[in-house]
Amino acid sequence: MATERDNRLTRREILASGLGMAAALGLSGCWSDGARRAYPDRIPVRFWHMWTAEWQAVVERIADRFNRSQARYEVVPLSVPASGADAKYLLAITGGDPPDVMAQWNPVLPTWAENGALTSLDELMTPAERAWTERETYPVFRRAGIFRGRRYAMPLGPNISACFYRPDHFRKAGLDPDRFPEDLETLVQWADRLHQFDRSGQLKRIGFLPQYFTQFAPLFGGGFYDERTGALTLNTPPNRRALTFLADYRRKLGFGNVIRFTSGLAGDTSGGVDWPFLSGAYSITQDGQWRIEQLEKFAPHLEYRTAPLPPPAGGRRLAGWATSDMLLVPRGSRQPQGAWEFIKFWSGLERPERAAEFYLWGGWLPIADAIAYAPVYQSYIQKHPALRTFLELAASPNLVAPPPVPFQAYLVDHISRAEDLAVRGTRPPEQALVGLEADIAKERARRKELGYAD
Amino acid sequence: MPISPPFRLSRFQRLLIHAALIALSVPVLLPLVWMISTSLKTDAQVYAVGAQSAPPLTLSSLVPHPVQWRNYPDALRAVPFLAYLRNTLFLCAVTVLGAVLSSAIVAYGFARLEFKGKNALFLLMISTLALPAQVTMIPVFALFRALGWYGTYLPLTVPAFCGAPFFIFLLTQFYRTLPGELAEAARVDGASEWTIFRRIILPLSKPALATCALFQFLGTWNDFFGPLLYINDPAQYTLAYGLQQFVSNRGGQWTHLMAGATLFTVPIIVLFFFTQRTFIQGIATTGVKN
Amino acid sequence: MRTEREGQDLSSPQGEKRMLKKQIVGYAFIGPWIAGFLIFTAIPFLTSVYLSFTRYTILTPPVWVGAANYRALLREDPLFWKSLGVTFQFAAAAVPLGILAGIGLALLLNQNVGGISVYRTIFYLPSIVPAVATSVLFLWILNPQIGLINRLLLHFGVVGPAWLQDPIWAPRSLVGMSLWGVGGSMIIYLAGLKDIPAHLYEAAVIDGANAWQRLRHVTLPMLTPVIFFNLVMGVIGTFQYFTEVYIMTQGGPEDSTLFYALYLFNRAWRYLDMGYASAMAWILFAIVMALTGFLFQTQRRWVHYGD
Repeated sequence: MATERDNRLTRREILASGLGMAAALGLSGCWSDGARRAYPDRIPVRFWHMWTAEWQAVVERIADRFNRSQARYEVVPLSVPASGADAKYLLAITGGDPPDVMAQWNPVLPTWAENGALTSLDELMTPAERAWTERETYPVFRRAGIFRGRRYAMPLGPNISACFYRPDHFRKAGLDPDRFPEDLETLVQWADRLHQFDRSGQLKRIGFLPQYFTQFAPLFGGGFYDERTGALTLNTPPNRRALTFLADYRRKLGFGNVIRFTSGLAGDTSGGVDWPFLSGAYSITQDGQWRIEQLEKFAPHLEYRTAPLPPPAGGRRLAGWATSDMLLVPRGSRQPQGAWEFIKFWSGLERPERAAEFYLWGGWLPIADAIAYAPVYQSYIQKHPALRTFLELAASPNLVAPPPVPFQAYLVDHISRAEDLAVRGTRPPEQALVGLEADIAKERARRKELGYAD
Repeated sequence: MPISPPFRLSRFQRLLIHAALIALSVPVLLPLVWMISTSLKTDAQVYAVGAQSAPPLTLSSLVPHPVQWRNYPDALRAVPFLAYLRNTLFLCAVTVLGAVLSSAIVAYGFARLEFKGKNALFLLMISTLALPAQVTMIPVFALFRALGWYGTYLPLTVPAFCGAPFFIFLLTQFYRTLPGELAEAARVDGASEWTIFRRIILPLSKPALATCALFQFLGTWNDFFGPLLYINDPAQYTLAYGLQQFVSNRGGQWTHLMAGATLFTVPIIVLFFFTQRTFIQGIATTGVKN
Repeated sequence: MRTEREGQDLSSPQGEKRMLKKQIVGYAFIGPWIAGFLIFTAIPFLTSVYLSFTRYTILTPPVWVGAANYRALLREDPLFWKSLGVTFQFAAAAVPLGILAGIGLALLLNQNVGGISVYRTIFYLPSIVPAVATSVLFLWILNPQIGLINRLLLHFGVVGPAWLQDPIWAPRSLVGMSLWGVGGSMIIYLAGLKDIPAHLYEAAVIDGANAWQRLRHVTLPMLTPVIFFNLVMGVIGTFQYFTEVYIMTQGGPEDSTLFYALYLFNRAWRYLDMGYASAMAWILFAIVMALTGFLFQTQRRWVHYGD
C-alpha cells in the first residue's frame, strides 16, 4: 500500500530533522559564553544606544576610548535599533533590569522623568560639575534635559538647521553670494529669482522652500511653550504668522507642484548621496550640520555655503527648534557612578578638549565654548568654515527646545499634523492651529480626568 | 485551461501559460532586480539615478557600471554575519521542529476527533490571533522574566512547542479535506488514533506540513523584535537584528542596506528552490484512492 | 466542526466508557496547545483586559479608572474612528484581491510546464524579502519623480500620481504592495491544490467535464477550506498591519494611512498610554471576533470538507 512507503519516508524525515536539530545544537555549543569582554575583571557599565550603521562605529570607538582612559569600568555598548528601542528600554526598566546608561533622542524625557524611570543627574553631579553645566553650556542645553527643575539628561549636541546654499546658482541669477539675505522678505525675493520651471510650468528647481513649522515659529517670535508660566503657546499671533507664511509660500508655487517636487526627491531621511541639494534641485535648503561631512565625502568639489535662516521683520534672530541626542541614567542602574563617569567623559564635562574629538567623530555640535574652542575643533572649523553658522546658532539664546510636558510626543505629533494640513493646502493655517489647540486641550482634559498630574 | 496536473497540455496551452507566467514575473522581479543592482553600485551611481526630473526608465540604468563587489565584504564586515547566521539557523531549526510537530498533533485533534467543547476551544484558539501583541507584550515579558528566561533563547523557542494557532488552523483545514475512508478502515482494524495520525494523516499532509515549516522558518528568520526584546548579549543576536544595523536614522547608505538585504534573502531563496518540490508531492501524485 | 457523531450508543456502559476515552484522546491531542494557552496566553490576555480599565504608563503601576478609556475612545477620539475607517477600507480591497490573485497564481503554478519550479520560486520571492527591506524598496519604487513606476509610465506619456504622498493614492499603493507579496498565500493554495485527490478529477473526466467545469465543481469546492482560512487570516492580518506603514508613511499624508495597529502602537509605546491602547486592542478584538464568528457561521454554506 502506498501509505506504507510514505510512512517510511516520514520516519526518515523525522530522523533527518532530528539530526538537523542536533547539528544546530552542536553549533550552538560554539557560542562564546556571553559577549567577549575586553576587560573581564572590571565593573561592567552596560550602555544601550540607538545609533546604527556608521554612527554605531563612532559610539563604539568612544566607548573604547573611555575603557582605555581608566581602569575601573568597562562600558559595554549595545545598539538597539530605533524601531524597537522604546519597547526594549521600557520593558527593561519596568522589569528591573535596565542598562546602566543609555542614549535617546525621542521625545521621551519628560514622560520618563515624570514616571520616575530616570535617575536625576543632580544626584550624581558634584557642585562644581553642576556649576559648570549651568554656567558654561549653551542656553538651549540648560533647558533641554531639565524637567520640573531637575536635570535628567546630558544633551550631546543639538540638531538644528541652517541654510545651505549654492553660490553658482546665485551668480547665474545675478545675486551676490557674499551677501546672503539678512531678512526673510529679501530671501523670498531672491528665491523667486532662483526658481526654475520647465515648459509645462512644472517646477524644475526650487530656489528656496521654507520648511518645518517648529523651525519657523521661533523665527517669527513665537514658540510652543512659555518658560515663565509653564503654559503651552500654540495658537498665538506669531505662530499663526509663521504657519501662514509656510502655507502662502506653497500656494504661490502651487500646492500640488510643491508636493510633487518635494516628494520626488529623497527627503531629509536620505543618506548623503541622494540629498537633493547635491543634484541642484534646491538653490537654498535647510538642513543640519551633519551634511557638511557628507558633502565632503560625496561632493568634495561642490561649492556651497551656509547661513542662518534669516528672521522676518520683527522676528527673532538665530532662532529655531533644537532637539538633542541625550545620555540618560535609568532608574535601577546598577552602576550609576560608572555611568556618570562615562557621561562626563563623552560630553566633555571632564576635559572638554579631549571630548571635542568625539564630537567631531559623530558630527555633533558642541555644548559649550570649552569644546568649540578646543584645538581639534578649531582646526576642523578652519577646514570646514560652513560649520561656523551652526556654532553661532548652537550658542544662540533664541533656540527653542521641545516643551517639557509629559505628553510631549503627543504634542509634537499633533503640531506636525497641523502643519501637514496647512502646508498641503487642506486647511487654512488659522483653522489648523485652532484644531491643534482644541486637540491638545481635549487630550489634557482626558489626562486630568484620568488623574495624571498634567 | 486544464485544471490540475494529470492532464496533458497542448503545445499552444503550454506556450500560453509560459507567456502569462513570464508577463507576471516582470513586475514581481523588477523590485528585486533593483535591490540587487543597487547593492552592486557605487554611491555615485545611485546618486546619478537620484537626480531630479529623472528620464524614463531604461534597462541600462539597472546595470551597475562599474560593478562594486566591495559592498558585500563591507556589509559582511559591518556585522558579525556568521555568528548571527549560526544563531538564526539554530533558532529556525528548533522552532520549525517544535511548531510543525506540535501544530500537526493539535490540528489532528481539532480536525478528526470528537470531544466536548471542541468548537468553543477552536474559536478560542483563533481568537488568540486577534489580539495585537503590542498590548500583551508587557505581561508576556513579565512572565518570561519571572520564569528566569530573560536573556536566553527560551522565550523564543519554548512557546513554539505548544503549537502555533496559525498553523493549527491551517492544518485543521487541510486534514478536514482528506478523505475519511482510510482512517475509518484503520480504526475498524483496531488502530489507535495516534497510529492513524502517524501512519495515515501525517504522510498525506506533507505539502501542508512543508508549508508550515517554511512559514515558521521565515517567521523566525525575519523576527527582529523577539530577539531584540529578550536578548541582551550582542553576540547572541540574529540576522534580522543585523539587517537593522544597516537602517540608519539618517538614511544610511543604500548600497550597504541593499547588499545586507540581499545577503539576508539569498539563503531563503536557495532553501525554497530546493524544497519547493515537497509542495508538488501531494497525494494527487502518490495515488491514494482505494 | 461536526459533532453529530457524538452521542451515539450513549445508553450502554460500554458506550459511555468509549465516550470517556474519546474525550481523553481528544484532549490529549490538543494538550500541547492547551498547555501553551494556559501558560503563555491566558494570563497576558486577562492582564490586558484589566489594563484596559486603567491608566497605565508602563513605568508606574496601573491605576483603575473604570470605563474611561472606552468612553474617550468611542466618544471623543476622531483618530480612533479614522484609523478604523482606514483599516476597513484596506481590508475590503486587499483581502478579496489577495484571494483572487493568490488562487489565480496557484492555478497557473500548478500546471505541468517546464521550469515550473523556477516560476514558483520567482513568485514566492517577494514574501521572503523582510518587511524592512520591502518597505525601503517600495519607497523608491513609488517615488513620484525618480521611482520605477512613474518612470515606466513616462514611456506611455502618463504622469503618474504622487503615490505615497497623495492621501488618495497612498492607501491604494499599500494595497498594490500587499499584492506584490501575495506569494505567501499562493503557497497555501498550491499546497491545497496538491491535496485534492486525483480520483476526483478522474471521475470528473469520466463524466465528461471540461476544464472550466472541473475548476468550478472540483477544484474550487475542494479549495474552499483553504480559501476560508486565508479569508479569516486576511481579516485578522489587516487589523495588525503595521511594519510597512511604520516605516513608509508613519500614518501620513493627512492620516490617510493611519492604520489601527499603528495608532495603537503610538498610543501604547510612544505616548505611554498602555491602558488606552489595551482598550483599543479589546475593541479591535471584539470587531475581529464578530467578523470571524460571522465567517464561521457562513462556512456551512460554502466551505466543503472531505469528512
